[in-house]
Amino acid sequence: MSTPEKKWKTVESGPHTYEDALHPVVRKNYGKWKYHEIPKPGVLKHVAESGDAIYTVRAGTPRQDTVDMLRRLCDVADKYSDGYLRFTVRNNVEFLTPNKENVDLMIRELEEMGLPVGGTGMCVSSVSHTQGWLHCDIPATDASGVVKSMMDTVYAEFKDMQMPNKVRLSTSCCSINCGGQADIAVVVKHTRPPRINHDHLSMICELPKAVARCPVAAIRPTVINGKRTLMVDEEKCICCGACFGACPAMEINHPEHSKFAIWVGGKNSNARSKPSTMSIVAHNLPNNPPRWPEVTEVIGKILTAYKEGGRPWERIGEWINRIGWKRFFEETGLTFDEDMIDSYRHARTTFNQSAHVRF
Amino acid sequence: MAIEVNGVSVETDENGYLVNLEDWTEDVAKILAVGEEIEMTEEHWNLVKFLRGYYDEYQIAPAVKVLTKAIANENGMDKKAASEFLYGLFPKGPGLQACKIAGLPKPTGCV
Amino acid sequence: MEGAKGAASKDGNQGKEVGAGNNEKFLNPTPMLDELEKGPWPSFISGFKELAERTEKPMLRGVMDQLEYSYNTKMGYWKGGLVTVDGYGAGIITRYSMIKDKFPEAAEFHTMRIQPAPGLHYNTKMLRELCDIWEKYGSGLIALHGQTGDIMLQGIEQDKVQACFDELNQAGWDLGGAGAGMRTAVSCIGPGRCEQACYDNLKVHLDMLRHFVGPLHRPEWNYKIKLKFSGCPNDCTNAIMRSDLAVIGTWKDAIQVEPEEVTAWVEERGMDALVNEVINLCPTRAISLREGQMQIESRDCVRCMHCLNVMPKALSPGKERGISLLMGGKNTLKVGVNMGSMIVPFMKMESDEDIAAFIEMVEGIIDWWDDNGLDHERIGETIERVGLKLFLEGVGMEANINMVTRPRDNPYFKAKY
Repeated sequence: MSTPEKKWKTVESGPHTYEDALHPVVRKNYGKWKYHEIPKPGVLKHVAESGDAIYTVRAGTPRQDTVDMLRRLCDVADKYSDGYLRFTVRNNVEFLTPNKENVDLMIRELEEMGLPVGGTGMCVSSVSHTQGWLHCDIPATDASGVVKSMMDTVYAEFKDMQMPNKVRLSTSCCSINCGGQADIAVVVKHTRPPRINHDHLSMICELPKAVARCPVAAIRPTVINGKRTLMVDEEKCICCGACFGACPAMEINHPEHSKFAIWVGGKNSNARSKPSTMSIVAHNLPNNPPRWPEVTEVIGKILTAYKEGGRPWERIGEWINRIGWKRFFEETGLTFDEDMIDSYRHARTTFNQSAHVRF
Repeated sequence: MAIEVNGVSVETDENGYLVNLEDWTEDVAKILAVGEEIEMTEEHWNLVKFLRGYYDEYQIAPAVKVLTKAIANENGMDKKAASEFLYGLFPKGPGLQACKIAGLPKPTGCV
Repeated sequence: MEGAKGAASKDGNQGKEVGAGNNEKFLNPTPMLDELEKGPWPSFISGFKELAERTEKPMLRGVMDQLEYSYNTKMGYWKGGLVTVDGYGAGIITRYSMIKDKFPEAAEFHTMRIQPAPGLHYNTKMLRELCDIWEKYGSGLIALHGQTGDIMLQGIEQDKVQACFDELNQAGWDLGGAGAGMRTAVSCIGPGRCEQACYDNLKVHLDMLRHFVGPLHRPEWNYKIKLKFSGCPNDCTNAIMRSDLAVIGTWKDAIQVEPEEVTAWVEERGMDALVNEVINLCPTRAISLREGQMQIESRDCVRCMHCLNVMPKALSPGKERGISLLMGGKNTLKVGVNMGSMIVPFMKMESDEDIAAFIEMVEGIIDWWDDNGLDHERIGETIERVGLKLFLEGVGMEANINMVTRPRDNPYFKAKY
């Protein structure tokens, strides 16, 4: 436990400074950009008021990277983009260079490294996702594996720009959904109330905290074998898993009963329609490592129907707003069922309070 | 893992928290404090007693917010000064060190 | 979709030698994980294996073994704990294996959250230095980036955390947030490359997070506060949904139009495209054709960004720029998804004084929440519980029609008169 004499006094510096991390052409034209175009998939060209142009080459990464891989990215940056690079919120890496002739050289080298160049414009971009079995303490699955399996199947759509508008994906390993709202989201759905480990509970959980965490007041204190512990009213329980985060003895994860659900229509941008939350369109899909074929199959059905039927600039949610949910289910071949009718707070805001019907 | 207190072995988890909360005594606290490289002063003991009193009453450790508020009230400090005072006593944080020495359960979760 | 057919059979190892003769391998066999080396998308498993075989770090072997085990049993085996550095109460996400008897090499696998530069910009010197320090003390695994916006240095043992942090800190890096305090923020690329950025989000991000560095490292609020900074309403950081305080660039005056570029666009794309892809998609029908010319009625415009996205050369945001502040965004746990809602429709964000005034306002908002919120209650939940009116009174703001989609539809309130 004892450490040698400390020489360094902590500087609470906050975020790393960014000015040294900006390409000189970026620094010169900072805040003075005029327009951009996408000369081809994976490449952006930004032109400044000064007339300077900077090219961006964008490539997908596994997100779970290593120092070896990052050093290779640094090699590419040193060779072609004057030692500067950045990442997008979709885990893509970007190299910015004023030298047009470096663009194709860079593309070739990135592709040789196995990194797909793309992720621009009307494409299926990479997935924002959670940690899963690799590192999380409450996961029912491994997001990284699901994402890899999913991106293998939409590889061509990542590299091209043939969708009606961009498609953003997310994946989450529990119903908290740290992956976020997306055009299509893959989210774990627990289907059974938590099993309680009474032997451990009183030692590792603060009882009132777990009770307070339940959104439907289904958790009550009780005494079993002389030990204070908790019980769950299984009638009330909505299998959300909120208690598990506060109390690891409320075991919500189950190898068979933790399933997958697919959600669509989330949108963060304000362009055209207001930002929107997702709706559930498939559930009870098995958690089937290592390739989760049932999940990727549903994603494929949705993307195929959207690619076919969406009009230019329509995001998935906007496409569905136009054609209606009835046709969405018909064209994707998915099945609407009674569990897809909201039963939680504000449920009536999702009911059809009109005489509008689609046949 | 275990610590030795007055010739008796007391079980702790891999972070050094007591496995059985009823094992706590002031002597246990002193040994736990040595493990944290903390020299217990009257101010440390006051805080430990506050934590134990709170836990007895509510069966949860107080939120740090509650702790700093109590310190601020007691010593006529503002929130920032109370926070600095708290980390002055327990440099690795009240959750980690003060709760451990007071024999409270390990705080859980990151969400 | 199309790729799905060929994916499983395609060899995706991209030039790396894997699988040939397992005899002298450092790693144990991981047949389940190896399935994730197939297919064209870059494989994180191939990366892990490469790193593990080169460095022969036992932790990597243990973690691979435990992950393989998880793929077989379909359960996770990490539990939390508490590890910090001196003076900090947060920033290390602690992981202990629950099955260390099976996989002793995976006993500890803590993550250090590190705050990147706003906009996720790097130069190779700083990134290489980060890699070198991380390889010296930790596993060498890095996630770029976590959902929090942090650099996630994954895999270090407790007794190495302080020394690793000291060296990282010396190189200009600081830990990110965790627990009930200020969290690491996220910015889009902003004025660094985007012509649509309406304020210097990188600077506001840096100034704001430096101001709140105390509550970030020593969390003591009701719950977390997340800030995200998007340069325009395209909201590339997903601020409205993903942050308690969403700072989004906007403008007050008319969209700037370059008539020649509009003409050039129509010549290239055709009148159908102008009607179908621009005019018809304007959410408030603010655009019309007059004698063949596109006209934008500014008073009808809600600054959604659509027409600017379609015609980036011809249209750009107005000149009177600033930010909107939306509050309350959060995901499902536990009252359901909550989108942030408009609190401050417009605020100038040009000078240092503007930024200082904004930071002061945010401080007042957080103080109100700290006094009025309940434990484990996000600020949007507090506002919903007590009512927006009480919040406005509490922080001294005037009600503004932009805060709502329409006036209330029920008559139940206590009036002051």
